[in-house]
Amino acid sequence: MMTKELKIEVLHKFLRVRMAQLIINEMYKKGAFKVPIHLALGHEAIAVALSTVMGPHDQLILNHRNIHYNLAKVHSLRSEIDEYLLKKEGLAGGELGSMNLINEPQGIVYSSSILGNNLAVAAGFAMAKSMKKDGGVVFVVTGDGAMEEGTFYESMVFEKSNDLPIVIIVENNQWSLGTKIEERRCPIDVGKLVGSLGIPFEQLSSNDTYEYIEKLTALKALAIEKKTPVCIEVPLTTLGWWRQKTADFPDGKFINYHAGPSPSVNEQEDPYLAHTSEDPLFVIEQYFGQETIRKLASDILAALKKELV
Amino acid sequence: MKYVEYINELVKAKVLEPEHILCFGQNISAGSCISGFTRGLKVKPGGRIINTPNCENTLCGIGFGSMMNGVPAIFFMKQQDFLLLGIDQLVNTYNIVRRQSPKASFTIMPVIVDSGYEGPQSALNNLADFCSIARIPGYTVTNKIDAQEIINKYLVAPGFRIIGISQRLFKTEILDLPCVYRNEERSVFQYTKGTDATIVCFNLSLPHGIEIHRRMAEKNVQASVFSINAAMPIEWDEIVADVHKTKQVIIIDDLKSVNAPWQSLLNALYARTKMKKHIVVQRSFEGYWCRPHHDQLEMDYDKVISDFNFQKDLIGKEDAS
Repeated sequence: MMTKELKIEVLHKFLRVRMAQLIINEMYKKGAFKVPIHLALGHEAIAVALSTVMGPHDQLILNHRNIHYNLAKVHSLRSEIDEYLLKKEGLAGGELGSMNLINEPQGIVYSSSILGNNLAVAAGFAMAKSMKKDGGVVFVVTGDGAMEEGTFYESMVFEKSNDLPIVIIVENNQWSLGTKIEERRCPIDVGKLVGSLGIPFEQLSSNDTYEYIEKLTALKALAIEKKTPVCIEVPLTTLGWWRQKTADFPDGKFINYHAGPSPSVNEQEDPYLAHTSEDPLFVIEQYFGQETIRKLASDILAALKKELV
Repeated sequence: MKYVEYINELVKAKVLEPEHILCFGQNISAGSCISGFTRGLKVKPGGRIINTPNCENTLCGIGFGSMMNGVPAIFFMKQQDFLLLGIDQLVNTYNIVRRQSPKASFTIMPVIVDSGYEGPQSALNNLADFCSIARIPGYTVTNKIDAQEIINKYLVAPGFRIIGISQRLFKTEILDLPCVYRNEERSVFQYTKGTDATIVCFNLSLPHGIEIHRRMAEKNVQASVFSINAAMPIEWDEIVADVHKTKQVIIIDDLKSVNAPWQSLLNALYARTKMKKHIVVQRSFEGYWCRPHHDQLEMDYDKVISDFNFQKDLIGKEDAS
């Protein structure tokens, strides 16, 4: 059972990730960044849960949309923004930018901008970890686009064949650039696909950070105990979409922004982006109430801005 | 001893050194063990030898991941062509890895398949083509000396590289030559020292260079023989110094690619010496160049020597440059 202190700590972390993204979005709109950044508004529940569950021996391998995981782990927003600004004071000396950002002291050991690339590298990390017997698991994050790549399947075949404890997280926001799943392919039943390899599967869809912490803890333990890869699909919505009016779409075409700022999101003391379960912050509300969340969000936003001065 | 047997002995000895090492690839401890290349591999108890599924791109990523996580990895490959499937990892992952200082190694050892009769899809035989896409350190192995020097220095040394071995040399007796010079990087080896001509062999063509050297010696012409074992940018100083004396160069290249490192050598020689004459012996293909063809670079040695029209009067005239 989660303690009240831990719940509050998690809420702080969640709001820090959310408000930091709102600050970055504002800077982005003003043209501050030359590197492409893939915001992950609405993806915070799984990122905050994972950063809470990660132990000192665990390793995390990310993809191009990694800002939420990095923000959940980084101690200084300044150092992350400096990295996006390609300054030598940045987290990686201005050498990696956003899509390849890593933070080794915090266990983020590799990030790839190439779809599917990180899945194979994660298998190698897991193999080495298993040989060295140094404990913990490898977590690797991918998406509904990257799982279309052959290496999604190939990596899992290797991992299962070699009894590697690894947790594969598929963030499924339905979109790959500007096409939804039904516009580009047949449906893929991830559970059946990985089940055919004998890999345990679970879908996390409540958008509840606290529930995700408990599930991730159990699934990590399963991977270690059974020496097996475990696959988790997390359906979610990338918030900040907007409608663009064109001659072909006079009523506005739905735009799910891939990279770049979201023009429909403004920095605000109100941290909510939707008052539905699509926004994981709305889901947290059941534990703390709206007023507490708004007050805390306002304090955290002020603190983050102070960090940047 | 056959070429493949000698390489196998060197590799077996080296993989026994690390406490942890991951040796992997298709059929590396099954069937013919890549025609004997990986037969009898053994590692310390903390190591692993894995016969893998067929998934070259993923296997390249696994090697990088293992290296980044501190366990040396070697990916043995039956056929270099299949490495084409791993290009994303070779380029994009290596571009991240190269900024780090890895404590472990990742070495890919492909067999450079030069058995031309396999058909159009086995036309690629140029290690340099792979290495140039991401400035990957790459080495070819042709004889006892370079095999020993390159495998012992690089196979499990921290960092990433490709070491290619030749399929068409597999069953031949391994050349055992005295080495008169090799550079620190093991990219340039010199096997004979002469004053009359310079022979420079690229890729896997050293046996041809040695044969030309022998035939020239019968005509009382003494040639220096160099072999270029690397695909990365090379310092040409030692060859430039040699051509300063000889002023005459035969370049032999058994690649089928248009990406030819000898062009860089020629530029250096014309820029830095008063070279009087050069000849390039390379594969010539007409029409559909990747059709099934002879395994070897076909050479009429006497014609090459005759075409070269070696001139004694060019030697001994040191230029001032």
